[in-house]
Formats: sequence, C-alpha cells, structure tokens
Amino acid sequence: MKRIMSRSFIVLIVTLAMVAGVCLLAFRLLTQNEQWVAQPYNGHVASSNGLAQAGDVTDRDDVTLAYTDENEERIYHEDYSTRCALMHVVGDNSLNISTAVQSMYRGDLTGYSFVFGLGLPKSLRTNNSIELTVDADACKAAYEALGYKKGACVVYNYKTGEVLVDVSTPTYDPQNPPEITEENEKDYDGVYLDNVVSSSYTPGSIFKVVTAAAAIENIPDIYNRTFECSGEYDIDGMKITCENAHGSIDFTNAIAQSCNVACAQMAIEVGGDNMTKTAENMGFNKTFEVSGITLSKSVYTLENALGDNQLGWSGIGQFEDLANPMHMAIMCGAIANGGTPVTPYLLQSDSSLLQKIGITEAKKSEQMLSTDTAIKLQDIMRATADYYYNARGLTMGGLNFCAKTGTAEVGEDKEPTAWIIGYTEDENHPYAFAVAVEEGGYGISAAAPIAQAAISSLVNNP
Amino acid sequence: MGFQVFLDIAVVALRFLLPVYAVVIIYQCFASMRRHRRPEKPLVTLELKDTGQQVPVLFWENSIGRSKGSDICVNDPTVSREHCVLLRRQEGWLVSDIGSKGGTYVNGKKARSRTQVLIDDEISVGSTTFVLKRGDEFQDRIRPSWFFSKASNKGSLQPYKLMLLITFFHLFMTVEACFTNEVQDFTPFTIFLIMEALLWGFFFVSTVVFKRINFELEALASFMTGIGVILLVRQEIRSAYVQLIAATVGIVLFCFLVKFIENPDRVDSWRMAIMIGAVGLLAVNLVFGSVQHGAQNWIQIGPISIQPSEFVKVAYIFVGAAALDKLQTKRNFFEFIVFSAICVGALALMGDFGTALIFFATFLLIAFMRSGDFKTVLLALVSVVFAGMIVLKFKPYVANRFAAWGHVWEHAQDTAYQQARVLTYTASGGLSGVGVGNGYLKYIFASESDLVFGILAEEMGVIVAFALTFAIIMLAFYARAITTRSRSTFYSISACCAAGLMVIQASLNIFGATDILPLTGVTFPFVSAGGSSMIACWGLLAFIKAADERTYAAKRLSKHKEER
Repeated sequence: MKRIMSRSFIVLIVTLAMVAGVCLLAFRLLTQNEQWVAQPYNGHVASSNGLAQAGDVTDRDDVTLAYTDENEERIYHEDYSTRCALMHVVGDNSLNISTAVQSMYRGDLTGYSFVFGLGLPKSLRTNNSIELTVDADACKAAYEALGYKKGACVVYNYKTGEVLVDVSTPTYDPQNPPEITEENEKDYDGVYLDNVVSSSYTPGSIFKVVTAAAAIENIPDIYNRTFECSGEYDIDGMKITCENAHGSIDFTNAIAQSCNVACAQMAIEVGGDNMTKTAENMGFNKTFEVSGITLSKSVYTLENALGDNQLGWSGIGQFEDLANPMHMAIMCGAIANGGTPVTPYLLQSDSSLLQKIGITEAKKSEQMLSTDTAIKLQDIMRATADYYYNARGLTMGGLNFCAKTGTAEVGEDKEPTAWIIGYTEDENHPYAFAVAVEEGGYGISAAAPIAQAAISSLVNNP
Repeated sequence: MGFQVFLDIAVVALRFLLPVYAVVIIYQCFASMRRHRRPEKPLVTLELKDTGQQVPVLFWENSIGRSKGSDICVNDPTVSREHCVLLRRQEGWLVSDIGSKGGTYVNGKKARSRTQVLIDDEISVGSTTFVLKRGDEFQDRIRPSWFFSKASNKGSLQPYKLMLLITFFHLFMTVEACFTNEVQDFTPFTIFLIMEALLWGFFFVSTVVFKRINFELEALASFMTGIGVILLVRQEIRSAYVQLIAATVGIVLFCFLVKFIENPDRVDSWRMAIMIGAVGLLAVNLVFGSVQHGAQNWIQIGPISIQPSEFVKVAYIFVGAAALDKLQTKRNFFEFIVFSAICVGALALMGDFGTALIFFATFLLIAFMRSGDFKTVLLALVSVVFAGMIVLKFKPYVANRFAAWGHVWEHAQDTAYQQARVLTYTASGGLSGVGVGNGYLKYIFASESDLVFGILAEEMGVIVAFALTFAIIMLAFYARAITTRSRSTFYSISACCAAGLMVIQASLNIFGATDILPLTGVTFPFVSAGGSSMIACWGLLAFIKAADERTYAAKRLSKHKEER
C-alpha cells in the first residue's frame, strides 16, 4: 500500500503538467486577448449591428470620418467622394475589408475589455475613438484623380511615418454598400482589397531603381560606362526592346530615360544572385507590417528564369517581378532618408507622445541601402524627374521632387499598369509616394497626375 | 432609459455573481472531501513474538517482506523480499502468501491460499513470528496527507445544502438561458425541472436507500453535468435531452459499479469476462463501425449511435487495477499489457487518435503504479513516440492538425478554423461571459463537445471555465490523497488512474481547443455533449467513490449491528 502511495506521485506529475498548461493558457489570455478578439469573424462585433456601440474614426485634422448616432446608425463622412476615397482605410459596417480600421480595431472601437469581454449591455459600455494619420482632403483629391480606373495611391511622411493618403479603387460608398450580383461583379472585382497594402502589381520601369542600385553596388566603373541602344537588344535569340533608339547613353541617363536595353544589360552584368541580393535588401520577398496590417509581398525571383534573356527582363521590372504600392513608398522613403526607411503607420496612437513632440525618433525599419547608394539614387531620380516633369510642366505642389515612372506590360490584351514612385524634397513636406493604375497606360500620363493631385492637396491645404 | 440601465446593471451584477458562486460550490465540494474521518491510528498491530516489539498495521492491505518498500518490513534473511500480504476483508483479517521461498504459516499451519487470522493468532514468515493484536494498543501518531484538513476543523456543508446550492446555480443559468438576446421563452425550464428531478432522485437514492453519508463527489459531477446540459439548451434542444438520458444511464451505472466493486475479490473473478467483453466491443466497432469525421469510432444501432471506446475506458481501469496479493502475479500483469496493446491498436486502426492517446497515457499511469519501474515506462513512451511519427506520416489529416498547431492565426480560415474561434470567443467572454445562449461559438462544428471549453468561457466567463478545470485537477489530488485510506490497492490504483484519465482527457480537450496542444477531438469530462462520454465519466467516478473508505462504511456499521 505504501508503495502504491509513493508511486501515485505519477498521477500528481500529470496533474501538475495540466496545472502548468492552465497557467500558460491564462498567461496567453492575459497578454493576447485583444488580438484574439479582433478577428473579422467574431460574431460579437461582426454582426449587422456590430458597430452600434463603436466610437468615432477621425482623420489627422479631427474631421469625423465615421461615428454612430443616437439611433445606433453608423454614419460616415457627409461627402460622397471622401467616403469612397477612405472606404478601404476606415471600412464599412461589414468586416469585408479585413485591413480597414473598423475591422482590425473593432474590438477597440466597441469598447472591449478583458474583464467585461464583449458581453456588456449597450447602456454600460464605453467605447474608444480612433484617430487616423490620413488627410481626408488629400485622399479625396487622389480618389477623384483616379476616377473610374482601378489602382492604388499612397503618400506617407518619410520623416515621421504617418500615412497621409491611402486610396484604393474600385471602391464603394460605405453608407450604401452595393449588392454585388452576377451582373455587376466585374465592376467590383477586388473591391474588398485595399490595393495599397494587399495587392502587388508588375512594376515595370520603376524597378529600374533597384537595378540601378544593384549596378552602383556591383559594377565599379558604372558611371564611366556608355550603353549603345539601337531600340532593340538580342539575348539568347530573343529581343528586349525600347520605345525608341536611345543611341549612346550614360548610366544616369539610361535610368532617367528608362532605357530597357541598357538596364537589361546592367542586370545581366550584375548577375542573378547579386540582383536578388539587392532586391531583397530593398524589401522584395519580405513582409512588412503597417499598423498591424501585413503587406502583400513584393516579389523578385529568378527561380523560373531560363537564361539571361529573362534575367534581362527581370531587370526592367517585367518577367515575374511584383511590387506592392506601400512597399514602393517605403523604398522611396529609404532612398530619401539616406538608406533607412521610417516605418509607416495609420493610427495616431501608434506613435508615442515623446515621438509626437520630437524627443524620440520615429520607428525605423531595417536598412535597405548604404548611404552612398541612396545618395546616388537620389541624384538619378532627381535627374529622372527633371527629364520628365520639366519637359511636361508637371509639378508636385511646387516642391522639388525625385521620381521614377513605370509602364508595366501585363499581357497582350491588356493595357499596361501605370506607375509612379518618388518623394518630395522639402523640409516641411517630406512625402514619399507610390501610385499604381491598372490598365492605366503610360506612367507619366496615367499615374503621375494622381500623385500630383494628392501632393498638391497636402501642400495647399495644410 | 433609466430603468433599462438599472436592469442592465442587475444583469451584469448577476453575471459576475455566478462565477463567484461556482467557485464557492466547487470549494464546498472539496472542503467536504477534505474532512477528516477516522482518526489516524493503526487498524491492528503485529507484535513480534520474541521481543514484544509492536509494528502498526496501517492499511487494509499490507505487504510483508524484506524489501524496504514493504508496508511491514522484516529484517530477516530467511524472509523473501516480497513474502506475503496481510489484508482485511468483510470476513476479517486474511494472510496470503505471494510466492515466498519459505512459505507463510498461521498458528504453525502452512497458509496455501488466503487464510483467516484472528486476534492473538500467530503469523510466521521465515524465522520471524508475529502475533496479531488490536489496533488501539499502539499509541504513535501518524501524519495524515496534507489534503485532509485538521480533525478540529468545523464540519463542512451538509450534503442536502450542497445540492440546494447547486440547484440554485442551475436555476440562475436556466433563467439566463430563458432570456437570451435572440430567443425568449421558457423551454429551458422544462429541461431544468427534469434534470433537478433526476439529480435529487439520485441524492435520495444515495442517502436514503444506500444510506451513504457523503455525497460531495456525486454533487460535483452533478454540478458539472447540469452546466453542460443547460449550455446545450440554446444550441440544440435535442442534444440536451440526449444528454439528460445519458446522465441518467451514467448515474445508474455509477450506482451499479459502486455496488459491484464493493467486494474487490468479486471483481477479480469477473476480470477475464470484462476483458473479453471489451475486446469484443472493440471488434464489433472495427467491423461494423461507421466513420464520422475521420474516425471510425461509432456504432449505429437504430436511432442510437454509441462510441464503444468510451465504455472500454471503464473496462480498462477494471482490468488494470487489482488487489495487492493479485497485483504481484506475473499473469495478471501480462494480461493487462496484452489488453492495453489490443485497445490502443484497435483505436489507432479506427483512426481515433485522441482516445488512443488517452488510453496510452492511462496505460503508463497504471503500469507505473503497478510495477514502479521507470525504465519500462520510459521505454514504452519512446516506442509510442516512434509509432506516433509513423502515424503522422501515413495519416495526412492528423499531420494537418500538427501543422496548424502554433500557427492558428495563419490558418484561421482552414486547418485551425476551430481553434482560432475558440480563442476569439474565449477572450470575447471576458471574466463573466456574455450570458448563456448569447455566444457565437455554438455555431461552430463540434463546439458542444470538442470545443466546450470555449463555450464555457464565452457564455459563462473565463472564471467558470477555469474553475471547472480546477475541479478536475482537484479530483486527481483527492484520488491521490485517499490512496492509503482505500480498502484495497484495487481501489487505490483504479481511483488514481480514473482521475488521471480524466485529467489527461480534460487536458487534451482544453489545450487542444486553445492551441496549446494539437486538436485531438476528445471530450471535457461531464460537461461536453456526448452520451457515451457522459456515461463513461460517471462510470469512472465510481472508482474514485469506491476508493473512499467512507463509501461502504455505513453499510458495514449496520451489518455489525445485525451480527450482534
């Protein structure tokens, strides 16, 4: 009997293991409960009346973007265009836009607390408001410039990290969400995605910024080189073509004038491994997080590349390259900041008080480029902007800026994806931006005006 | 508006009272179990004939031998390491030789099988002779287990008061269930009335018919059963009725088993029959079983579907435990190992890996408690880890669950669908829950059984969910504390292992649903919906009940009276 008693400690061990498990569960519950609650499928906040108790959502200037009135109705901004422009950031009553603040932070908005859970009767609940970093007017301007085209426009302050413009189309009016049927589903294709954070497009020529960085880092005499462009270039029996023959062209002009032949040659000379290395340093194939939203990855891969021809295509942003607009803005922010980007954020609460009054610095991401390369890229992108915009009389709210456009071929029956990425060089208005327009055509004519509209609005209506 | 606020405050206050109330009930159940019963003094004493030295006999079954672990250690080279067993039965004290070299003698006559020993009889082992004396002739104090409170502590709640507390708790839950956000009607009351009739009927039978003084173990199980049933009312009313029927069958089984194992020697003669029955049941399951959700562990008989593996759990404990003198025989142990292998193998074939795991863990418990051999247990553990890896290789759906383990949020829409929802709704409930019937987890597949921990936490709050978890944990502490007070090692082993089995099962249920372990799909004892599981849990409880010395005490007293 004594022996059985002493051996029964094994039951005790099993039981203590269970106690340990319970403690672990309790610990996780205490530390992660907010994340657990804020799930789009959570019935307590996702039901049709899930926002009946929610607090306000405001923009950076305290403009109310959404609030709940005394009839427990959710009311959005009074202006139709503003509502549509901010739909993907603010969200609607449903949880369909999973990256919108009304989805991701619904627990916060509706007054979740660990003690009371979400079960508190409405009369006793206290809710929280959320202040966004976006500028409603600039978003509206970008949305109106985008018109009926599908695309994305993002602008963020590369010194502080505040996201000022985040517009994605197609969109809809959150006050009167459309019923999506078989007839109209084409118009609303991808409407639940915020293209700024959740889509990646073929980059086209904007990728030449990456190729340039790889060339600077891997070809020592790159600034002494000249490339010969006859309008087309044969590699492995296949052609890489340019719009027109650039003739004899140096490195800076090859990027500024977006010479495919020269850039493909650079990529081939740099080689696949080094191209991949530079691209990955600059954030391709990596995940970024913006206020809890995980960005769709930008992709640079040569796994399926058969030879130099496809390596050449990858160097001019075709082949299997993909770029996410928010990441492109971050990359421009890195170039503007001398190699290391500031991490963007969407909620004012993401920055600490110390940071707001300038005592501590904004949160930085991993370094993307050496300072030397960043400064050289700044010069190249400034030259690019001069080449395009001075000639065509386009401005960015009167600020000096650096940029690169892109026109990405996406298939024979489709118009190209139009791109512009870049940043303004101004102490008071340090904006990094990226615009992508699906089936937009030329970057300069389809994407640039949208960036221009957004930044002009930011500069003119501070 | 003012009235509404007042009403809302009242509802919230009630909701916060319920968890406190639940904790009080569980505390009272265990306070009652911890009560001191007989004074810690020896039952009889053995007096060494030569020196007159007195050796206390503390237990109902005592091993006598040269080895240090023996209950009565004899320092005599002519005595075998495990010599004989001195045990107490209905008919008095018996001595049984367990294969000693020199043999055991009572009053000079060789004891071949169990031989009765009376007061002042002589027991000879090797060259040592003991004389059996009454217990009160020995004076040393014996330290009781920490679990039991001091004898001076004032008495705990009377059983009927405990039952009243529990009934009121169920009533509050029922009222909550009547006024949910979606539906308001009085159907929960029907269930409540039937259930309380059942529970009070059980109480009546136990106290009046069987004349048992203590009811706390049954009260705890009734408490948990009731919570499970009322939670089901707003999920699927039919399941609530099924659950009630199962609880009735379970309680009947409980009463039957407690009676059946009253005599541990009768159990031994039924051992083979139970083993064959259990193997037969598994065989029928393997041949005629139907596959539900990836595991072929159901038998369909007309409208009733049962899960035979649940009943085999009860049989398994039966076969695993034995009285001290039977425990030592090799045949007994060998039979048990073969039986274990058949059970675990059959369950693995059915694809019911959760239950197979429970059986295996219980096997380790029983094997260790019987043999005390760590090496054997380790060896078995390692071999099963290998077997487990082979299973993972060949059963992709099991491997899938492992893949989702620890990556819930990445797989929230596919392989970790259920776990993600359990976590979300557990946190949504807060400390006091959103109220019975107001939860959303109930719409998720298997929420009423495999994910019931989440429902508890969401609708009744984290505190109640954790309190019920601790009730299971305390059950194991209790089972261990009464080990030496049991009337036979059969009871000690079966109680510890039944409690251990429940702990393991509850762990797999809770931790599987909350992503601390991979999801295996087993039930939470007494609370999860599932008829077979409910019946088996009550069956397992009978072993713990039987291990408590007091269970058969009233009976014995009355018999004594008759004899006089």
